[in-house]
Amino acid sequence: MKSVRVWFTKDKEARYISHLDLNRTMLRAISHSKIPVWHTEGFNPHPFITFALPLSLGFRGVKETMDMKLVEDIPYDEIIAKLNNSLPMGIRVYQVTEPVMKPGVIAYGLFDIKINSADVPVDTLYKLTNNLFNMDEIMVEKKSKKGIREVDLKENFCKYTITQDTDNVNIQIILPAGSTTNVNPSLIVKAIGDINNIEIYADITRLDIYNGEVKSFE
Amino acid sequence: MINKDMERLLLKVQKPGRYVGGELNSVGKNKSEVDVRFAFCFPDTYEVGMSHLGMKILYSQFNSVPYIWCERVFAPWIDMEDLMRQNNIPLCALESGDSVRDFDFIGFTLQYELSYSNILNMLSLGGVPIKSADRKDLFNIVVAGGPCACNPEPIADFVDLFFIGEGEDVDLEVIELYRQCRKNKESKGSFLRKAAQIQGVYVPSLYEITYNDDGTVNAITPKDNAPMPIKKRLVMDMDNSYYPNNFVLPMVEIVHDRAVEEIFRGCIRGCRFCQAGFLYRPVREKSPEVIDNQCHTLCHNTGYDEVSLSSLSSSDYSQIGALLEKLTTWSKDESVSLSLPSLRVDGFNDEILSKIKTVRKSGLTFAPEAGTQRMRNVINKNVEEQELLETCTTAFNGGWTTVKLYFMIGLPTETMDDVEGIAHLGQKVVDAYYSCENKPKGKSVRVTVSASSFVPKPFTPFQWEPQDTTQQIVEKQQHIKTAITTKKIQFNYHDSSTSFLEAVFARGDRRLSAVLEKACHKGFHFDGWNDCFSLTKWLEIFDECGIDPSFYANRKRSFDETLPWDHIDYGIKKEFLINECKKAYESTTTPNCRQQCSNCGATQWKGGVCYEKR
Repeated sequence: MKSVRVWFTKDKEARYISHLDLNRTMLRAISHSKIPVWHTEGFNPHPFITFALPLSLGFRGVKETMDMKLVEDIPYDEIIAKLNNSLPMGIRVYQVTEPVMKPGVIAYGLFDIKINSADVPVDTLYKLTNNLFNMDEIMVEKKSKKGIREVDLKENFCKYTITQDTDNVNIQIILPAGSTTNVNPSLIVKAIGDINNIEIYADITRLDIYNGEVKSFE
Repeated sequence: MINKDMERLLLKVQKPGRYVGGELNSVGKNKSEVDVRFAFCFPDTYEVGMSHLGMKILYSQFNSVPYIWCERVFAPWIDMEDLMRQNNIPLCALESGDSVRDFDFIGFTLQYELSYSNILNMLSLGGVPIKSADRKDLFNIVVAGGPCACNPEPIADFVDLFFIGEGEDVDLEVIELYRQCRKNKESKGSFLRKAAQIQGVYVPSLYEITYNDDGTVNAITPKDNAPMPIKKRLVMDMDNSYYPNNFVLPMVEIVHDRAVEEIFRGCIRGCRFCQAGFLYRPVREKSPEVIDNQCHTLCHNTGYDEVSLSSLSSSDYSQIGALLEKLTTWSKDESVSLSLPSLRVDGFNDEILSKIKTVRKSGLTFAPEAGTQRMRNVINKNVEEQELLETCTTAFNGGWTTVKLYFMIGLPTETMDDVEGIAHLGQKVVDAYYSCENKPKGKSVRVTVSASSFVPKPFTPFQWEPQDTTQQIVEKQQHIKTAITTKKIQFNYHDSSTSFLEAVFARGDRRLSAVLEKACHKGFHFDGWNDCFSLTKWLEIFDECGIDPSFYANRKRSFDETLPWDHIDYGIKKEFLINECKKAYESTTTPNCRQQCSNCGATQWKGGVCYEKR
């Protein structure tokens, strides 16, 4: 049995489906593709698949991964073609590799956050964004299973850049992501909106995921 | 394609995936290359509508015609509707993201009377005038079909044209006629008059209704040569009728997410409360070979690992054994499970049992419908208590521990003894479990008893019957509740106020259009959902319109009264229905179509069970 890592993008219409729905969509696609994937042996046998790191509903993902086990050898190109034939256009498989790292090592994510607001021009939004990033601490409420707690976003910021174009303010930022700490980039968007009392529309893409040494997940 | 304005709202609502489209197998076409655009509207949420087989059939069939582009439209849930109204965003179709008002045809499927408010709300959200008379051009033609079209009158002011019966053939003929009329630059009126000549088309504006002083219908008069009565259309050759070989595969969870194969239409039984049992006569079967092929193709093309064999009373399929035999030759190897969602108590046996649980065990549901033998004879259910208990014993021996039993309360001639019988029957099923030798060890039994309230429907022998008042229904529900003494029975019952409104619209006349119009202006929607339904608010509107809803729901009608749907002809003779009603009063049963022909009138269709060799 051979483990493979399937790399795909989640965009267009498919960015609006939840992780649970992605899981179901993938399971049916695998079943439709007839790729010889190992099935669990429990009461309800189903293809055994693992996603490295769930993507929030609404985000675009350009380097998403799913691991599965093959019970027969099959060329990687064939896996790509068959899966794409069985998946909606919003999910595209572009590569299959042998897994190098374990999903558990994932520690950071690189995000691209495009924001605009009907309430203020881009120039102003750019200033407001910079103001926020220059604050000593950015306290926000974070909801988790254990309830709501206050966290300081600022202490979680690693590398970031802020630029602007005609329509949007663009923030590229590395944030903790993974099983230990996780900061959702939409918290930043919410903070800018709440502090300035404006409504913000955000378009967020996860560009990459990294291990603890900020090396791209392989 | 996601509408750009809609996209900005998506992250503010629950389950945005239902507003985006983009599913595998959804059909995109170039709008400049098609002649007719058809918006297929399902007046409920995406999850409900996407589970509906009729929509899957017609969507695929329409799109198989090169000059038609059929798209799907669902009712947005209330959170999305609020945002759409605040931001002035019209209701859009999923495939193109274009507004409903851009379509040649706006078609609704009428599955349930309580969806009428959603139909009007969807038109209004789409920026389309709700009244037929206010849409003057040969464009935005609002059409409707489905079971509730058998009494189209309550929504007659809003719908330009109804399809009576089954849609596969008549829909395409009407679309083709429209295409010709547009080419010739004809008026909407001219198109409708021509369409009315097609069998299975009802154009309400071509019929005038007059009323008596007591509020009943006096006469229904056709004009412009419109036919009288309007005869239904139906598909006689099931093997060669259109069936999709692929489904649109939703990305989000829907109610029934599986392959569905229709195995026959109609029902041989003739239970007297059941509208479908009369509307879809005669029984027409697909052959086992065709079913087997279509199931296999569907599973192969979709990747589904479950097929549901759909029909009324599936165990009445004449070759059920042979069919299951065929299906299980491949289903097991391909890990596909089979389900038969509509099983009769007396059609359940070890063979069926072993076939449907080869892969996965689903729940078991039976519908004795009534608690006593007398009552079951009145409704012509023809199921004996002993059969139910034997069937349950078979199921328990086969490892099942949960059984659902469906009942109705408020049936004609029902007494409190009949009602109490429901609780007793539930208890007997529990007892049957414990006297079962091969029951699963160490497990308790769970019997769910559900009681819905009877709604008299057109084209049934009970179409003249009064519905129980809400007060009577509530008393009966409480009576069952107190008569159940074990915790092994879970008792569910239906909100009687929704059944009341359902009864009003099911047998209403054209004057109810005024009520629905008001309801639309007041923003009524999703009456089938507890979140939204308020009988009090509906009663206020009835009051404002000077209409007494109990006139439609709770009044006993006489056999010689002109019924609001008397101009619609489903091929069932009225004398037959009257005779059936009289037999009900005498607790006399009627044999099923395979045992003996009861001369209902369906032989006129020249096929199906009426001409089977007996």
